[in-house]
Amino acid sequence: MRRIALPVAVAALLALGALVVLELVRPSAPPTQVEQARQIAAELRCPDCQALSVAESQTAGAAAIHRQIVEQLAAGRTPEQVRAYFVTRYGEWILLAPSSPFAWWIPPAAVLLGVGVFAWWLGRGRGEAGPAASPPGQARDRIREEVEQLDA
Amino acid sequence: MPAPSLGRSLRWLALPVVLVPLAWLLFTGLGSDPRVIPSPLVGKPMPAFAGTTLDGIEFSSADLLGRPAVVNFWASYCIPSCVDEHPVLLDLAARHGDELQMVGVLVNDAPDDARGFLDRYGHVSWPNLLNSDGDISIDYGVIGPPETFFVDADGIVVARHVGPLTSDEVNRQLAALGLAP
Amino acid sequence: MIPTLGHIAVVIGLAATVYAAGAFILGGRSGDPAVLASGRRAMYAAVGMVALACVAMIVSLLTHDFSVVYVARNNATTTPPFYSVISLWAALEGSILFWTLLATGWASLVLYRYRARLPALMPWVGATLALGVAFFFAVMVWAGDPFVRVTPIGLEGNGPNALLQNHPFMGLHPPLLYLGYTGLAVPFAFGMAALITRRTDEEWLAVVRRWTLVPWICLTAGIVAGAWWSYAVLGWGGYWAWDPVENAALLPWLTATAFIHSSMVAERRGTLRTWTHALVIATFVLTLVGTFLTRSGIVNSVHAFTTSGIGAWFASAILLTLGVALGLLIWRLPDLRDRRPPGAVLSRESAFLFNNVLFLGITFAVLFGTLYPVLVEATSGARASVGAPWFNRVNAPIFVALLFLAGVGPALPWGGASWATVRERFAIPILSGVGVVVAAWALGVRDAAPLGILGLATFVLAVMGDEVVRGARSRAKSRGEAAPLAVLRLATRNRRRYGGYLAHVGICVMAVAIAVSATLGTDRTATLQQGESLTMGEYTLTYDELVTAPLASDPRVIETRAELTLAGPQSGPIATALRDYPNSQTAIATPVVRTALGEDLYVTLLAYDTSSEAATIRVFINPLVMWIWTGGAIVALGALFAIWPDRRRRAVEAVQAGA
Repeated sequence: MRRIALPVAVAALLALGALVVLELVRPSAPPTQVEQARQIAAELRCPDCQALSVAESQTAGAAAIHRQIVEQLAAGRTPEQVRAYFVTRYGEWILLAPSSPFAWWIPPAAVLLGVGVFAWWLGRGRGEAGPAASPPGQARDRIREEVEQLDA
Repeated sequence: MPAPSLGRSLRWLALPVVLVPLAWLLFTGLGSDPRVIPSPLVGKPMPAFAGTTLDGIEFSSADLLGRPAVVNFWASYCIPSCVDEHPVLLDLAARHGDELQMVGVLVNDAPDDARGFLDRYGHVSWPNLLNSDGDISIDYGVIGPPETFFVDADGIVVARHVGPLTSDEVNRQLAALGLAP
Repeated sequence: MIPTLGHIAVVIGLAATVYAAGAFILGGRSGDPAVLASGRRAMYAAVGMVALACVAMIVSLLTHDFSVVYVARNNATTTPPFYSVISLWAALEGSILFWTLLATGWASLVLYRYRARLPALMPWVGATLALGVAFFFAVMVWAGDPFVRVTPIGLEGNGPNALLQNHPFMGLHPPLLYLGYTGLAVPFAFGMAALITRRTDEEWLAVVRRWTLVPWICLTAGIVAGAWWSYAVLGWGGYWAWDPVENAALLPWLTATAFIHSSMVAERRGTLRTWTHALVIATFVLTLVGTFLTRSGIVNSVHAFTTSGIGAWFASAILLTLGVALGLLIWRLPDLRDRRPPGAVLSRESAFLFNNVLFLGITFAVLFGTLYPVLVEATSGARASVGAPWFNRVNAPIFVALLFLAGVGPALPWGGASWATVRERFAIPILSGVGVVVAAWALGVRDAAPLGILGLATFVLAVMGDEVVRGARSRAKSRGEAAPLAVLRLATRNRRRYGGYLAHVGICVMAVAIAVSATLGTDRTATLQQGESLTMGEYTLTYDELVTAPLASDPRVIETRAELTLAGPQSGPIATALRDYPNSQTAIATPVVRTALGEDLYVTLLAYDTSSEAATIRVFINPLVMWIWTGGAIVALGALFAIWPDRRRRAVEAVQAGA
């Protein structure tokens, strides 16, 4: 039974992946103004609180910004224009997700670099015949044996 | 073996490579106040505003042109900062009331509370806008009261001051506006 | 009188720890047991002194002795005793005093426990710990004296920070967090000692594994309790805002977690020695960075302490520690050359190490995001913010990859896996994952995040379940035990592995709960007149009346309560309030949370109008939130299970000690 299980599992995974792709490709309804407003509010910093977004905050300042977002969207401005308006007033500081590509690319690049170095190291380890393990103390051998027996 | 010893000494480069930028970052960071945020409006025309004042009069920023202006955002709940700067504002009005126009703008405040504040700490000669919907605060990118904008005679924002005004700060800004302190 | 006593105790504590550091260094060089014993005694004395200072501070707070600046700023005559006591750690100077108590306590505990063992390492462990603790005493003596006096003495104090006196969790979350932070100095001290004495074999690692797990459990519990506090107090319906201070606690947790995983490989394969040392150093330095972030005023945050001159002290300590530790590491690099190459690509070793790469990736991303505003300001003078939208988007993919690895790792055997093993071990978990996703889809879940995490979590759980079943079955067969007994024996004989599995179960529970609560929650805001109601899902809230009254426990606090009647699940009267504290500009929300297994109803009062008695309330339905806390508890329990001493382990330790 286990012999056929993996092909079935892989097939199921592929089918699921295909479904997801279909779902993504299928044209979905454009976001409503309420959804757009919520999205913008979640990305703007609430000026009179700390570390919270306009969407999360309950202060009067946040409420005023939220209302302006709704009004500006209703007046036909695009979400980008609304965001840009707040940046011209408060500066980049108002954006909880900085717009600089530098901020977005450095962390993923670091992770990819780490993965790359790791992969290279793994590959190198396979190429060389490793030196024999140092002779550990008898006590350690005993512990290890015991642990491995139980882990098996 | 010369090669490993060169490699070995090169390893020590890791120390300055890590420590110098870190030291620079930590100590520059320490030197700054995270509460002070530069305004993108400086050097740009002041955003126009209009509205009702505490005395029930209609006021528009168009009335300001031709004279330097001081736009002060405040609130009655802003204690002690707004209380601290109140005498400074009164003094400024007494000394330069005829050369510049002062405007107060309330930030999320109830008119009655604001009147109570003025009853308690001193009435002012300049108009105070209700700004009940908060739109003026947003147009000026106000983070929280007190905040003061200095505008020159051409309507260009010269500076923003976050936090309570001091006489020294006022004199510095007056000089920038071309007025004698 | 009492504050003076506290101050004197701090000064003596500084002298004692400086003496201890000197004695350990001298004793380490000469090996004189009498000198070393005197160093240990000096450290015990320091614990006594700092405990005395803490008691002096608590007494000053309880007696409202406003001649002490700290008490005048953080206490009032009406402050309830509980909040007076916990004000010990509610502001800058007191928190450093409390921190010193915990750090000195950890140091003494370690010195006492190993007083007759590890004779080569212990002097240097003691020296490192003593120097670290001496730094905190020095900060208290020269930069942030908690017992500074003031004249004239005020009749009334400022009272504790309003946010920090609004919930009893303040009594639990900071101590746990501090226990974790300060405890992580112990592995660092062992790491330094191993480098100094060139005893970089597995001896120090065996000791340090446990001494990392204990603070790690505290840190885990502290972080989860902090999230819970934030959820119950701040009133915005969430629990994690990627606030710099939250990040400060997360950073050492991430590297300590990486260490816990890599040290298993290191112990088993005798490899990775540079890496484990680097992780131990990074973890300790990050605890200092956390302290620096919270106490220097470099970042603006909900619970950052007020700006002070202490920042320069911590910045110097970070640079000095990192410089010395890194220098030692570079100096000893030739000793640390790995003896063996790592295992095959498809092996448990590789999965664990890949896990390390990802944990370090998140650490880097979180550190980068937290310091990005400082970086931008230092380079361009502009101000930038980095908040939840950035952190979520950058970190979510890495967390997902980590969750996947939590399933892959246990399924792969040490050394290397054959294709047949992979086929055997992955098929059923993958099928279960897909099955659960399809089932959730059929039940109406459409968002990608909860579906994906649910599938992944099922995959991970199935891999572990398969392992347990296989192990128990073979044990039951070979020893003729009943299945439940076999599982129990298997787990208790193999605590590390099964404790680890339990921790992973907790992580899976948390991951699903976080993904679901973050995407499937709903919220509404409404302004109600008396008698009006608001319906959300199965719940109907009717607004009855607005009541304003001083708080019974502290009459200086005025509470305005919106009394509501809840119909639907958990029906009954509820009241959500805004509290006006005399020392707070904004009213502090007191949300009411009705918790159930499936979802929380979270109601908070945003505003009220005293003339019309209208109340604006915000109602959240947050699904599965209680499973976040439960998952956190399972993680901590799993780790506790793994380190719980048992007979077999004690035998092993005796062998180690004799070796």
